[in-house]
Amino acid sequence: MEPILAVKHLTKRFGDFIAVNDISFSIKEGEIVGLLGPNGAGKSTTIFMLLDLTTPTSGDIRVLGMNYADDREKILSRINYSSTYIELSPRLTVYENLLFMTRMYGVVNAREQIEKYGKVFNIADLFGSQQYRLSAGQKTRVALAKAFLNEPTILLLDEPTASLDPDIADLVRKEILASQARGMTVLLASHNMAEVEEVCDRVLFIDHGKIVAEDTPEELAKAVRLVRVNLMMKDGQKRTVAFAKKAGFGTTVEHRSVTIEVDEHDIAYLLNALAEKQVAYSQISIDKPTLEDYFIKVSKEGRR
Amino acid sequence: MNWGRVLGVIEKYMHESRRDIFRVFDVIWWPVFQLFVWGLFSAYLQQVSPNTPNIASVLLGAIMLWSFFDRASRDVSIIVVVEMWNRNLINIFATPLKLSEYLMGIMVVAITKLMVSALFLVFLASVLYAFRIESIGWYFIPATVGLTMLGWSISLITQSCLLRFGQSVEVFIWAAATLVQPFSCVFYPVSSLPPWGKMIAMTLPSTYLFENMRGVMNGQPVDMTGLGISFGLNVLYFLLALWIFYQAFAGAKVRGALVKQS
Repeated sequence: MEPILAVKHLTKRFGDFIAVNDISFSIKEGEIVGLLGPNGAGKSTTIFMLLDLTTPTSGDIRVLGMNYADDREKILSRINYSSTYIELSPRLTVYENLLFMTRMYGVVNAREQIEKYGKVFNIADLFGSQQYRLSAGQKTRVALAKAFLNEPTILLLDEPTASLDPDIADLVRKEILASQARGMTVLLASHNMAEVEEVCDRVLFIDHGKIVAEDTPEELAKAVRLVRVNLMMKDGQKRTVAFAKKAGFGTTVEHRSVTIEVDEHDIAYLLNALAEKQVAYSQISIDKPTLEDYFIKVSKEGRR
Repeated sequence: MNWGRVLGVIEKYMHESRRDIFRVFDVIWWPVFQLFVWGLFSAYLQQVSPNTPNIASVLLGAIMLWSFFDRASRDVSIIVVVEMWNRNLINIFATPLKLSEYLMGIMVVAITKLMVSALFLVFLASVLYAFRIESIGWYFIPATVGLTMLGWSISLITQSCLLRFGQSVEVFIWAAATLVQPFSCVFYPVSSLPPWGKMIAMTLPSTYLFENMRGVMNGQPVDMTGLGISFGLNVLYFLLALWIFYQAFAGAKVRGALVKQS
């Protein structure tokens, strides 16, 4: 099956600076793909090129098998976009802003769609308020409602839950998953690793304009082999720290709590060694690596 | 051209204009201010030069036509720069909206504001200074159309500069029309200009329109050759300005300026 979004050798240069460096990826219909990377990695530039707001220096973008040179109107009528950092018209009411967007996308049942997503994102009571009077969280919800109005085939989301209260952020994630069930394809740029792990089928990790990793969130997290062993010490704290340092494990001490970072294959070795040294602890927990650990690892490597 | 989208653009800016008291103020305040000052000045000139017939009417006619040009050169640019201030260009151009539809929409809004402003001005001039619009006759229509067209050409160039150099050059929105004013011979005949000034004046469509207006108000027939040259130049400049604007927009997308300025 042909991918719904296919990017080949996409490059964007601004003078000497290479914002996006020869990236290629594709997204299948109904997939939710996370676009991760540190600030300035090239995520937003990639999204802007996918929206034809920035012209690529080279490379090819195919959306639903079409390209922007020939079918800009058709493509954009089936994509929508939302970002926490983009404003709608401040003087218009929420309803007028949404109505304007339905006109731009040629939505036939505009009023029904506005009512529907007004309810979904809990903004129906804000319809009469002018945009500039809204809080940051309310603006984000309006921007999200706007992104769903035309029932897009592809949805591009840039930090969709930044500035939202946890309960509303959860509601948004549920709506993203529900939209996937309806067949929508989503590209999600986010710094919220837990969110990406929760909703994304696959992650593209971008750094310095290049895709440095592409896999499921679970597999990427596994690439970080260090696990954290947390011990609440009863006896032998000094012996534990001395052993960990001697063995070359990263160690953090906070009051009676000791955290030791070890390769997952060394957990048994660590625990046996502590038993031999007659160390006593009242609690033990082991944190598996997360996508956030992978993010930190790759970001550190990128800065070197 | 998708007229549904054009209508959406018109509706949006009509709502915005209605809401923003400063924009309403802008439609009324400047024309009234200019009319008031120039009206008083014309009345004074009529008093000190009673042997110069029609001087007050000619000056008032000039200021009214000038306000068409002045507003046309600013209104469209202001809409665009306000969208830049509001960081809303991304939302607008991430939709299927075409540049031509956007321009069409904001020009219709600009014409509407222009009409409101002009009607108010004509009404005020007739009440305060007994100015009669009939003294310009049918010539009023081609004159206003021509001046609006030139104003839009200048506006497109201003917007191109905004897209190219960013909001630091937004001062040109207000200054562009005044740069053309001395050579357009709004308040004096072309013969008053020095030879080099006349050469510049002859390249401006506005010069022919204001020259013709004075003739008409002094009872002469419309100089059709001058009117024809004016329209020819207007069409040429408008097409050129449109081309420059499209190039500037495409350039902004290449430089990433469209999203940075939003």
